[in-house]
Amino acid sequence: MSSAEPGPARAIGERAPLGSPSGEGESRHPSLGISLLVSELSVIYRRPRTWALLAALAAVPILIAVAVRLTDDGPQPGRGPPFLDSITNNGLFVGFTALVVCIPLFLPLTVGVVAGDTIAGEAGHGTLRYLLIVPAGRVRLLLVKYVGAAIFCLSATLTIVLAGTVIGFALFPLGDVTLLSGDTIGPGESTLRLLLVAGYVTVSLLGLSAVGLFISTLTDVPVGAMAATIVIAVASQVVGALPQLAWLHPWLLSNHWLGFGDLLRQPISWDSFGANALLQLGYIALFGALAYGRFTTKDVLS
Amino acid sequence: MVRSSLRWMPAVLVPLVIGTGVVVAGASPVVTLEEKTPEQVLALVAASDVRSFSGTIQQTSRLGLPEFPSTDSGSDSTTDSVASALELITGAHEARVFVDGPQRARVQITENLAERDVIRSGSEVWTYDSEAKEATHLTLPDKTAAHDSPAWTPGEIAARALAAVTPSTEVSLDPASRVAGRSTYELVLTPRTEDTLVGSVTIAVDSESGMPLAASVHARGESAPAFRVAFTAIDLAAPAARLFAFTPPAEATVKEESVPDAALPGTLDARDLRSAVPPFGVSGSDWSTVVELPSGSAPPELLASPLFASLATPVDGGKLLGSALLNVLVTDDGRVFAGAVPLNVLQDAAANR
Amino acid sequence: MTVAGTGLAIETRGLSKRFGHQDAVDDVDLTVPAGTVFGFLGPNGSGKTTTIRMLLGLASATRGEATVLGQELPGALSSVLPRIGALVEGPAFYPFLSGTANLMRLDSADRYASGSTRRSRVDAALDRVGLTHAAGKRVKAYSLGMKQRLGLASALLSPRELLVLDEPTNGLDPQGTREVRNLIRSFADDGATVFVSSHLLSEVEQMCTHAAIMSAGRLVAQGGLDELRRVGDAHVTVVTPDAERARRRLAAFGFVTDEPAEGSGRVRATVAVEAAAAPESIVAALVADGVRVRGFTVEQVTLEERFVALTGEGFDVVR
Ligand SMILES: Nc1ncnc2c1ncn2[C@@H]1O[C@H](COP(=O)(O)OP(=O)(O)O)[C@@H](O)[C@H]1O
Ligand SMILES: [Mg+2]
Repeated sequence: MSSAEPGPARAIGERAPLGSPSGEGESRHPSLGISLLVSELSVIYRRPRTWALLAALAAVPILIAVAVRLTDDGPQPGRGPPFLDSITNNGLFVGFTALVVCIPLFLPLTVGVVAGDTIAGEAGHGTLRYLLIVPAGRVRLLLVKYVGAAIFCLSATLTIVLAGTVIGFALFPLGDVTLLSGDTIGPGESTLRLLLVAGYVTVSLLGLSAVGLFISTLTDVPVGAMAATIVIAVASQVVGALPQLAWLHPWLLSNHWLGFGDLLRQPISWDSFGANALLQLGYIALFGALAYGRFTTKDVLS
Repeated sequence: MVRSSLRWMPAVLVPLVIGTGVVVAGASPVVTLEEKTPEQVLALVAASDVRSFSGTIQQTSRLGLPEFPSTDSGSDSTTDSVASALELITGAHEARVFVDGPQRARVQITENLAERDVIRSGSEVWTYDSEAKEATHLTLPDKTAAHDSPAWTPGEIAARALAAVTPSTEVSLDPASRVAGRSTYELVLTPRTEDTLVGSVTIAVDSESGMPLAASVHARGESAPAFRVAFTAIDLAAPAARLFAFTPPAEATVKEESVPDAALPGTLDARDLRSAVPPFGVSGSDWSTVVELPSGSAPPELLASPLFASLATPVDGGKLLGSALLNVLVTDDGRVFAGAVPLNVLQDAAANR
Repeated sequence: MTVAGTGLAIETRGLSKRFGHQDAVDDVDLTVPAGTVFGFLGPNGSGKTTTIRMLLGLASATRGEATVLGQELPGALSSVLPRIGALVEGPAFYPFLSGTANLMRLDSADRYASGSTRRSRVDAALDRVGLTHAAGKRVKAYSLGMKQRLGLASALLSPRELLVLDEPTNGLDPQGTREVRNLIRSFADDGATVFVSSHLLSEVEQMCTHAAIMSAGRLVAQGGLDELRRVGDAHVTVVTPDAERARRRLAAFGFVTDEPAEGSGRVRATVAVEAAAAPESIVAALVADGVRVRGFTVEQVTLEERFVALTGEGFDVVR
């Protein structure tokens, strides 16, 4: 149907020069979805809840740094979270310590909230049906939602690293960083390693995001999807702590979560990074496929 | 609807693909190598002149001992030390090894967010523990400084096993395999006696360099190795020189130690061992050797610890600490018999004394 | 394309949707001519929204087929949907975003919408529904009526050939209702087909040219409004002392007369509307027969009665 055709089928909206006429949709070049992604990100980051989550994450390094600063004799080696005792020598370690502290619970919590909200949140608001009749396209929407969640993962880890670095430099000296191998590296390389660790942690969260995305397609109640995603992250770590289930460990989502120590050795070891990336890729493929199957066949009744 | 069932196809295919990938990766690879006799492979090992490499070694044990969650619980130091000893011989451990000639080596025992290092450069030896932030410095006497390749590589273990090849052992070759991405000859040493827990020892020999890349010990009747040390990655190029130049970090506590000649790892031999421990007796030979310690040599607090009680099973004549490769019998009168032999051999040895 | 060929904007054949054991939509054959304002009438729970969901590809049909704008669903969804603007089951927006931001979001989801004209199209749509002043406010602070308008604006972001509006006047004040009615008329004047569902007959009567009536998941009647009015019964009441003669004369016209009320002097008779003769010829025939006609009334059948007759009376939701 062409809008140039006269008669009853002429499109509305032509009284005002409102964009290009419809009906020629197939002949025009559809956009790839960059604008949808930009809009998705603006929805995520214009949301007060997102900023509350990021603020909570930023509070962790600040709390650690202030606590260490206020104690007189400083932390002892081998007690408390790894790197804690290095903080007094080098502010950069606030970021490392905070990442270690956040990985088991805080990061999965925030990622669970965002990933669990992807589809279920739209369904809960009722906006899902409007996005679909625009049409955003179900596959495209799913992809954009996943990429949005992944970018949130990155911003979450960077928030911790950034807050840690800022507060670390404010309260502690900036010195050389001691690697796990006992070698020391200068501030330039330390910053690089810190960013690598942030990248590692982000990759670690990608599988969980895919799980959250899938769970999110199962329900119209975002809180349920968030809770289920977080429960899976915690359960994975509980199973990982049980030696009786050692055969299952290589398959666990959280198996390599603390493996970023490999990036703090001399020379750097990429083994964990590779293994972790492969594992997370497997989770992304599996749960991405499940989410695709579910979301493209689902009746949107919200 | 056909359409909607098609949409679930990826969800079916992905696990299939992953499963296939895992099975293919886990299957014993088909490697074709030039035919060799066991003797030729032994000669290849003997002629091996790999002096520099860097690699990752993985040690796995399935000794049939209970595993403990690696959280420190309680304050009983005996239990702690026993538990940490158990931890070392159970489960999996990984180390990165850098070797540059006989004089320079670095071993990193890697754990999650922790590492223990031993760095040797000539007569200088450093150890470093990242958790305790402790460094130890030793200077080796010249005599030991000349000592050759370190003891913890598959090469050393394989060399010892090969040295033990006697009429009591049958040497054969398994089909060629692949270790750390390199094709290997699989040398199999099988005890001819029934009086041992060892089913076989397999040594994977790099087909190009002759360097042993893996050694595994199978318990009798078990298909999975009870103990295995293997490279998971290896690079035969010389490691960067700066790896061997260790300066302890500023915040670490540094201990200076001088060590008597005999107590160095890698220099221990049977004579040192004899002088270091209480006098012990030996019975049997080769695979069925039984070592006997006299009454009182086992620390009484160890024998009294609840951990020992939970590990040991009462048997005729004492208590047995059993595992897949090693049995230890603590007799009621306090003597200790140990060996890679079945319980009845230990009991016979105890009865004959 | 085939809209011109068949002249139909929407056509369904045996469209059905089952939820568990309940047939929410049961064997619906809907025919919506292009260029009409089509009222989709039915009490709450009769399956209107469910039908609309199927037409928009939100839900899959359990059985049956649907052709929208000449293209078969669900295969052609991606090319049909850009030509449709819709409001389904009330408006829905991100409460933490402003009205403008919400529309921008929806428009950027449209892969055929140009980014450079986005802002001006959003402003034009807001202007058209009279929301320009509240455009910067968060939707959280909108009243239901304002949200309803914003929903309409979202359906107008791009030029559309078909507007599917599910109960668009829900929650609006009488003033807003009137405005929406005018808006719908203006869409129609632009040449679009408007498919508007409602549970209020009066609304459909005021703005639609065609209608279909749903009851408990089934389509019970459809056609032009006049057509629908014509289907059914017409009643005449004659006030006369000559009741017996009048009854005979009316029977000759095809009327069925009610049981005579004792001494009332009234004769009430009913006939199918399409068979009804013109009132003046009935009166002329009665007078010619010597019936002393003292009063004569024709009861115009309202669609209301038809609606109630078809869908049942009472406040209760049917299911
Ligand atoms: N998601 C659902 N699950 C089960 N039943 C539903 C669902 N949505 C609607 N129904 C049922 O389908 C019938 C039709 O609903 P609906 O189409 O919303 O009616 P209307 O829009 O005409 O008020 C109702 O009886 C309702 O209970
Ligand atoms: Mg409805």
